[in-house]
Amino acid sequence: MGTPWIALRTQLLFNGHGLVVSDGSCSRTSQKTLQMTDLLQWPQISICRSPEMETFSCYWTDGNFYNLTAPRTIQLLYMKSIDEDWKECPDYITSGENSCYFNVSYTSIWVPYCVRLASKNQVFDQKCFSVDEIVLPDPPVHINWTLLNTSQTGIHADIQVRWDPPPTADVQKGWITLEYELQYKEVNETKWKELTPRVSTMVPLYSLKMGRDYEIRLRSRQQTSEKFGEFSEIVYVSFSQLGSECVRSEEIGFPWFLVVTFGACGLAVTVILIVLSKQPRLKMLIFPPVPVPKIKGIDPDLLKKGKLDEVNSILASHGDYKTKLYNDDLWVEFIELDIEDPDEKNRVSDTDRLLSEDHLKSHSCLGAKDDDSGRASCCEPDIPETDFSASDTCDAISDSDQFKKVTEKEEDLLCLDRKDEEESLASFANTDTQHRHMNTQSENIQLWPPFAESTDSLRPSVHPQISNQNSLTNTDFYAQVSDITPAGRVVLSPGQKSKVGRPQREGCTEQNFTIDNTYFCEADVKKCIAVTSHEEDEPHVQEQSCNEDAYFTTESLTTTGVNLGASTAETPISEMPVPDYTSIHIVHSPQGLVLNATALPVPDKEFNMSSGYVSTDQLNKIMP
Amino acid sequence: MPAYIGDAGDSPAPVDPSRSAPGSGLRRAMAPARAAGRAGAVAALALLWLLVCGPGDSGCHLLTVADLFDRVIRHSGRIHSLSTTLYTELEKHFPPRDNELGKPARKCHTSGMLTPNGKEYAQKIPREELTHLILKLLQAWKEPLSHFNQHIEHHQELPDDSLSKAKQISNMVHELKTGVEKVTKKMQSMGIISNSLNGMASSEGTGLSISNEANMMSDSDFIHCFRRDSNKVQSYLKILKCRIMPENSC
Repeated sequence: MGTPWIALRTQLLFNGHGLVVSDGSCSRTSQKTLQMTDLLQWPQISICRSPEMETFSCYWTDGNFYNLTAPRTIQLLYMKSIDEDWKECPDYITSGENSCYFNVSYTSIWVPYCVRLASKNQVFDQKCFSVDEIVLPDPPVHINWTLLNTSQTGIHADIQVRWDPPPTADVQKGWITLEYELQYKEVNETKWKELTPRVSTMVPLYSLKMGRDYEIRLRSRQQTSEKFGEFSEIVYVSFSQLGSECVRSEEIGFPWFLVVTFGACGLAVTVILIVLSKQPRLKMLIFPPVPVPKIKGIDPDLLKKGKLDEVNSILASHGDYKTKLYNDDLWVEFIELDIEDPDEKNRVSDTDRLLSEDHLKSHSCLGAKDDDSGRASCCEPDIPETDFSASDTCDAISDSDQFKKVTEKEEDLLCLDRKDEEESLASFANTDTQHRHMNTQSENIQLWPPFAESTDSLRPSVHPQISNQNSLTNTDFYAQVSDITPAGRVVLSPGQKSKVGRPQREGCTEQNFTIDNTYFCEADVKKCIAVTSHEEDEPHVQEQSCNEDAYFTTESLTTTGVNLGASTAETPISEMPVPDYTSIHIVHSPQGLVLNATALPVPDKEFNMSSGYVSTDQLNKIMP
Repeated sequence: MPAYIGDAGDSPAPVDPSRSAPGSGLRRAMAPARAAGRAGAVAALALLWLLVCGPGDSGCHLLTVADLFDRVIRHSGRIHSLSTTLYTELEKHFPPRDNELGKPARKCHTSGMLTPNGKEYAQKIPREELTHLILKLLQAWKEPLSHFNQHIEHHQELPDDSLSKAKQISNMVHELKTGVEKVTKKMQSMGIISNSLNGMASSEGTGLSISNEANMMSDSDFIHCFRRDSNKVQSYLKILKCRIMPENSC
């Protein structure tokens, strides 16, 4: 009996739209005529489910095909894994039409089942499963909701939804554990909002709009599975029954009051700012000025229009400030500065200082001859105070210690330069240059006695004795600055004999004094002078080693002065009497001085001195 | 049908007398005593009551049987979830079984074990046997799981997630077995169940033969079988816990 069914089945083609009889002609007209029904399907087992893992039911669909032929004789057969044969469904009724219900006695959990939908010998469908896999619980029952609270604005509300588990599921004994999922949405919405599945049978819903109605539905599933059961019935949530007096049905479209408030605030702030800017007092009160940098004790106004003395005193109180420009004792400190700074380049500036700013200085010391290094020769501090006969303005140099110190520095300066000289001399290997230097040396020697004497004479305690002592035979072409008047005039002393220094015969000629070398050890000069004087048949000068003159002491100087004086007195003055001084005609700083020669022929041309020294050539030009 | 319908919102564990106040617990303990056939349970409850510690007591270190059961039940639930996830992952990689017209297949190596296949049967068999069955099941899966872990590592196409899950499962099964053993000892010490070692000995004997069968299965069948047995263990534990608490009329 089943054979023709099977044969027919193989000849039939399903295309989803109709049954086409495969008789060889697949014409459309035959298709159309045979489209009696759109869907012709075999009977199928739609689903087998167990709501509580104790019973299960299988549902199938009738096929359209069946109506065409024999009356329905569909059977549901089942077989457990332990069974040998197929058995028929025990209950076709309980679960409804086209269903088979397996009660507790027929249900075995964790046992593989196979269910077959068949009619006679025709098998339509088959499914194999085990009951623990097909658990789909019933939806929860007794769903209700209660109002938790409402917001202060009355727009939103919170509700609590409660329900009961499906009665079929034995949750209490723990045979099955259920999870519940709640879904809700507004009435006119289309998409449901889902909450996470939970085991508890109550859940709060927050921020529901009171003006709207909501729909709630629930479904459950076994905790360890992923498939949910059917949805429960929809529960409506409506807040209207609670009273809608305080319900704002519509939300505020545009927050006008916010705009007004902020606008007013901005306006107020603007007005305040304007008022503040107009009144500086108020402004100062609210916005105090930021303190500018300020030196303590100094008023910037004073600096702008104050007197120099005041400013000086103020600034001096700050320590390192050198008040040399405003101090009477400047020349001593001036020397200090010079000694500390033995740069050659300062020669010119020193000379400038000495020559151009002499009017500012009120010292009575002999200024250095401009052809010499003014610095070192200025105001030798060793001259004793008792020799303050020429002037009384060298009060600053009353401190012998200061003098000593100055002298030390001076001497160091001079000796240092001598070392430099020696080094420079050593570099000259050329005999010509040496010879030249020798020549110049002889010439320079002439210069240096005055320099030496000028250094001596420039010492504060200048005394005309010393000044008179220094002279050489042919050194009458120079003028020695003997005094600087307070008015600023330079008083030159007359030409003087060479000072008899402390010669050392040896070593003098060996030294090549270059004309450009402004500094030299005074002792060496004196040596040379002594030697020269000795050569020129000058009185023998008291020998003193240069080393002894590392620093001059007043006693030694005095002795020297006395000796010199004595020697001078003994020395026959062979030279012509030279004028004591020559006034400075023009001061061209830093080029040099133009001297008014009284007894000497006036130099026709002013000789430019480079670095404040007169070269021998220049001197020779000038002098006859 | 349950004797009464309590608060369904609670956890599946029935109300525990140990959690409630001492007085109410005693009252509850008195109520089931009226029912016939509950004398043994009452005695057990009395014993339990003596050893109970309230959950709020700070100095109490004793864990009640109920707490222990809760823990093992949660653990078995986690095992079941993991195995379900692993099964779905493996099904993607391995071809699904055809719904063949024939006998239902999927023979598991534990299929030969006689286990209650329904709630009623689980409620009827003695508690000792139920406990023993649980332990037997766990023992039966111990070896095959370790073999499975070694075997599955060679599968290159499987994601690392699956491999880690498999390892995790075997560890958790071992922990669960230890936990159930502890609960069993506790119950035996409290007199809830009798000391019977006969069943235990036999389970170990059958374990070896079962393990051999397990090695013959395919990976997909293996995980499918394990998933089913993990659900079995979880359900048995739940029923066992319910049966220990008599007021739930399990």
